[in-house]
Amino acid sequence: MSELGRLSLLLGFACSLFAVGSIAWGLRTGLSGPLRGGRRAVWAVCGLTVLAVILLERALLARDMSYRYVAEHTSKDLPLHYAFTSLWAGQEGSLLLWLLILSAYGSAFLFAYRKRLDPFYDAVAMVIAAVMVFFTGLLSFVSSPFRILATPPPDGMGLNPLLQDPGMMIHPPILYTGYVGFVVPFAFAMAVLLLNRSGTRWIEEVRRWTLFCWGFLGVGILLGARWAYIELGWGGYWGWDPVENASLMPWLVGTGFLHSVMIEQRRGMLKTWNITLIALTFLLSMFGTFLTRSGVLTSVHSFAESNIGPWFLGFILIAATAATALILYRKALLESENRMDAIVSREGSFLFNNVLFVALTFATFLGTTFPVLSEAVTGTKISVSAPFFNRVNVPIALTLLLLTGAGPVLSWKRVTASVLKRNFMLPAFLGVIAVLVALPFGATGVYPLVCIFGAAFVITTIVMEFARGIQARKSAETGALPGQVVSLVQKNKRRYGGYIVHAGMVVIFLGVLGSSVFQKEAHGPLRNGESLKLGPYALTLRGVTDHQRQNASLTTAIVDVQRDGKFVATEHPSKAFYSKSQQPMTEVALHTTPMEDLYLILGGVNEDGSASIQAYINPLVSFVWVGGLIMVFGTLIALSDRMRLRREEKPVP
Amino acid sequence: MRFLPAPLAFLVLISALLAGSAPLLAKEKDPAQEITSQLICPCSCGEVVSGCICETGMSMKAAVENGIKAGKSKQEIIGALVSQYGEVIRGAPKPEGFNLIVWIAPFAATLLGFAIAWLVLRRMVRRRSELATAAAGAGSPAARGTMPFPAVRGLEEDLDALRARAEKELRQMKQGREA
Repeated sequence: MSELGRLSLLLGFACSLFAVGSIAWGLRTGLSGPLRGGRRAVWAVCGLTVLAVILLERALLARDMSYRYVAEHTSKDLPLHYAFTSLWAGQEGSLLLWLLILSAYGSAFLFAYRKRLDPFYDAVAMVIAAVMVFFTGLLSFVSSPFRILATPPPDGMGLNPLLQDPGMMIHPPILYTGYVGFVVPFAFAMAVLLLNRSGTRWIEEVRRWTLFCWGFLGVGILLGARWAYIELGWGGYWGWDPVENASLMPWLVGTGFLHSVMIEQRRGMLKTWNITLIALTFLLSMFGTFLTRSGVLTSVHSFAESNIGPWFLGFILIAATAATALILYRKALLESENRMDAIVSREGSFLFNNVLFVALTFATFLGTTFPVLSEAVTGTKISVSAPFFNRVNVPIALTLLLLTGAGPVLSWKRVTASVLKRNFMLPAFLGVIAVLVALPFGATGVYPLVCIFGAAFVITTIVMEFARGIQARKSAETGALPGQVVSLVQKNKRRYGGYIVHAGMVVIFLGVLGSSVFQKEAHGPLRNGESLKLGPYALTLRGVTDHQRQNASLTTAIVDVQRDGKFVATEHPSKAFYSKSQQPMTEVALHTTPMEDLYLILGGVNEDGSASIQAYINPLVSFVWVGGLIMVFGTLIALSDRMRLRREEKPVP
Repeated sequence: MRFLPAPLAFLVLISALLAGSAPLLAKEKDPAQEITSQLICPCSCGEVVSGCICETGMSMKAAVENGIKAGKSKQEIIGALVSQYGEVIRGAPKPEGFNLIVWIAPFAATLLGFAIAWLVLRRMVRRRSELATAAAGAGSPAARGTMPFPAVRGLEEDLDALRARAEKELRQMKQGREA
């Protein structure tokens, strides 16, 4: 069976190579045969990858310990669903998942454009196939999941306990769907440059693909944050860990692109910049995979470290060089069609917004890679972690928040003083009031106050935009307010979907503000019957019990929670000892209310029988998740928009 | 100010939200946590010490608490821990020497980006007004929109007339429907 798996990957490698060659030949000669052959080869890669995945899954589910991958990542006592998801627990399997999603994108792309005869789409498929060459090659020759052990061990080493969490069953596939998907916009951009295509039709198509992947990446990041919050047990959800940063970077650049693409669509400007952003997004998503898998940086995510680092770096370098060369070579194609009317305009604000997104990405990139750089230069090991990013990234992000408020109220082309006054007075006024209201509640410091001002400002501008839209349509339609809002959103899904995404982002900002600035902590050893005070809460230890689970033994503290003297709940923070890893794992107890989370960790049971309890109050954490849901909702609305091509080129016969 | 009610509602919401968590906001942050949140656990866990529950982290927390009890300053406590575990425990590198780069570069890049964006925008604006004057100088009426040439300008006037007619018809249709 393992030979069949290896063969399917090898055939996949051959098919991807064939696809690239055949389509290139077809594009050069104009023959339709090679183009058709190339497309079919892309389909074939997808089929072969599915076969390889099925074969590996079969081995994982059967715990066939003759496979090295199975022996390293599962054990016989591992629950069946975790055996299934251990496909992405290690490096080879993760790469296979990458390839699976990549080839699925390739096929989905071909399916979506099956009726288009334009060779442009073949060129896009060719670029996707070129990326497939890399991954099938890597899986065939460097990091094969189908390696066989000469003497199979009686049992496997087990799955990393951190990964034995329901969140881990969906976080990686969703994150990868975002990550990998950026291949498609990249392929579009490269195809445009390769074929010297003008026109803006492709940019609308790219916008939709990007929005789709961007949405998935965002959900993947939040799921990862949620997983870290529940599973890592350090009281927070975002630690500026290298791999968290790696997933954030393509998201940031992608967000920048989703904004500046509007300028290209409306005004035909910033073409070079947009193509650069697309390429950067893809390269950063490759870099993210590299960071996760290379072990260059220590991180909670570097579950498997190995020798594929140089290969990835090489591929990223080649792709970056090719993209840069193509952009420079086709400079004429990317000339702006229009000129700016005024700096203070929506176009202008988008450009500044892009600067901030890229700056934020740069700060994150520099901070993430700096320990390696610094150690190489100075010889001293240093850390660049949360305390750094909180000081550097937070002010940039807050500036971005303020700009989020400013952008939508500036009109396109040119802003008159009266428009500026009309649109800015009310939000600024309400922003100041929000700050004044917040002050007596103990909100101090520049950043929290700026955040509160920005949040009130942005929300006000969004509400004003909705109100103005409804006002403008009042003559045409009457009815209840909710109905009017719905019909307004339906009228321009992209715009109002975007505003809803902004609103979700503001909610996330408030959640981050609450849970980071106003977090409270208490810890201490508790004997039976003793209490720990934390804010309005009193935590009383009622006892410690031990019990057995399928592949782990648990020590659980029983803690009664009282708030303002009233009993609220009994919580069970635990420590789990997995039979295979023997390292203790924290199982957090969470008491969630809309306004705050009470977060309990059992540090351990001491020799005198007391339990070390660590407790946090994390205000407004639920806002982070709710904000994420609002963003997903807005993204779905924006995605549901039918293609409205404002500046469409002549259709190709 | 006819849109006032809705934003006011949001304001109330935001105030309510702040009021709801007011008891939590009232107190100052614990001084020990302020120090431990700046430190990284040197063992393999790599967590920020304030949230770390491994042995090394717990002993560092205890050291910080003892230091505070002994009346030591924040710098003294951190300094003692750094001499014990090395620079690696600082969550953010000390801004000196080579490590200054990581502190300065992000802000420098942001400012540089803003400056470049400003220059690019200004050049684009200027080029546009040059185009307009050139068109005006060539005898054509003052350029409108993006169409400086007379023939195209005529076309644009036609388009405007068409648009006006379409809008008028649309209004009539809607009125018909309402009636």
